Amino acid sequence: MRVLPLAYVIALGAGLGLVSARYAVAERPWFGRAQIGAWTTWPNGGARDIDPYMRAYLARGVHLPLGAGEGLELIAKTDDAGQALDARCRYLVSGTTPPARGWSLDVADLAGRSLQSTVERASFTDAEIVRGERGGMRIVLATAPEAGNWLPLPAGGRFQLRLRLYDTPISSHAGELRPSALPRIARINCR
Amino acid sequence: MSTADNIGTLPAASQHIATGPSRPRRWLSRLGSGLLRFVLLTLAGLVLAGIVHIVTVLRVPTLASGDAATVYAALGMNGRAELVTPPPAGLPAMLDTDPNSVTAVCSYDLAAGPLRVVARTGSLPLGLTVHRRGGGVAYAITDRAAIRGVLEFVVMTQEQLDERLANDEEGETSRELRVISPSLQGLVVARVMVRRSFDRSEAEALATDIACGLAD
Repeated sequence: MRVLPLAYVIALGAGLGLVSARYAVAERPWFGRAQIGAWTTWPNGGARDIDPYMRAYLARGVHLPLGAGEGLELIAKTDDAGQALDARCRYLVSGTTPPARGWSLDVADLAGRSLQSTVERASFTDAEIVRGERGGMRIVLATAPEAGNWLPLPAGGRFQLRLRLYDTPISSHAGELRPSALPRIARINCR
Repeated sequence: MSTADNIGTLPAASQHIATGPSRPRRWLSRLGSGLLRFVLLTLAGLVLAGIVHIVTVLRVPTLASGDAATVYAALGMNGRAELVTPPPAGLPAMLDTDPNSVTAVCSYDLAAGPLRVVARTGSLPLGLTVHRRGGGVAYAITDRAAIRGVLEFVVMTQEQLDERLANDEEGETSRELRVISPSLQGLVVARVMVRRSFDRSEAEALATDIACGLAD
């Protein structure tokens, strides 16, 4: 009669423990993340004092994240209003970037894979964009071609934006950044 | 007779009256103790789940067989970093790659001794990182730290550093940049930013020009 309660405790403990661990490391963890406006980053993801969840996440795939002194990666899955980025809409990415030796901005699917486009343009770097008079960036994301800096979007579905800052002094204190220091993502309209 | 019958039947009647209301009470108390037992067992299960969760998360890096250091363990053994963007035939591609960067790796196993890494810098931003086996960056440096266009450091374990310090000449300062790797195996990763699409071949040449061999 004592076997049944013991089996229940072991089944509950092992099952719940394994499932919750798998769920916790399947994606980038909630722990250690810094939310700056629409952008999310994990400042310690490339540091020596990485948290165990992020380390387990990195160990489960072929990840080679930017080192803390090498650069910083920021990911946006929503616009500034908090709405999920949708390829049926047009977006304007504008503003400034924190000091860095160089930056790149690319469009990827939710799994982080670069989008396959018929146009040979899936990303921009700081050296490639046409700047306005004030030197700020102004990039339009849309399915149909646009004048100026245009990043093509797929016909539909959700996507994410990835901003990588190379050799930036802010990598160690990215959590203290203000949203105004990063590019704004505004939805223009939707089909 | 009738009196005797009355006397005989009285206790039975009184017993019936006494057990009537106690049966639900006993049933309720049994239910209560069963529920308490279930709650205690569930709590024990949750505590066990917490322990299993923590142990699993901590063990993932040591048990991982699909992390970058394991997958690319055969690359760079010839003393030069090898490109992984795109990956060599038969090897999986890196996840979360930047299409505007070129990455080359050098695998190391410090069991044979410390590893010396020498990189020449160019006009494109270059970053060198040491990734330990099981995920995580142990060290990162950029070409801003280069001296006369050369970045050089030696990767070693804590024991190898202690041995090196003991062998250093007393009073002399070593000019060697020594980097501690928390694991015996890992990867030295060279990443070069491709600022314009026509910079790609230059970036690839820069990334694969990294020399990595035994320090001694």
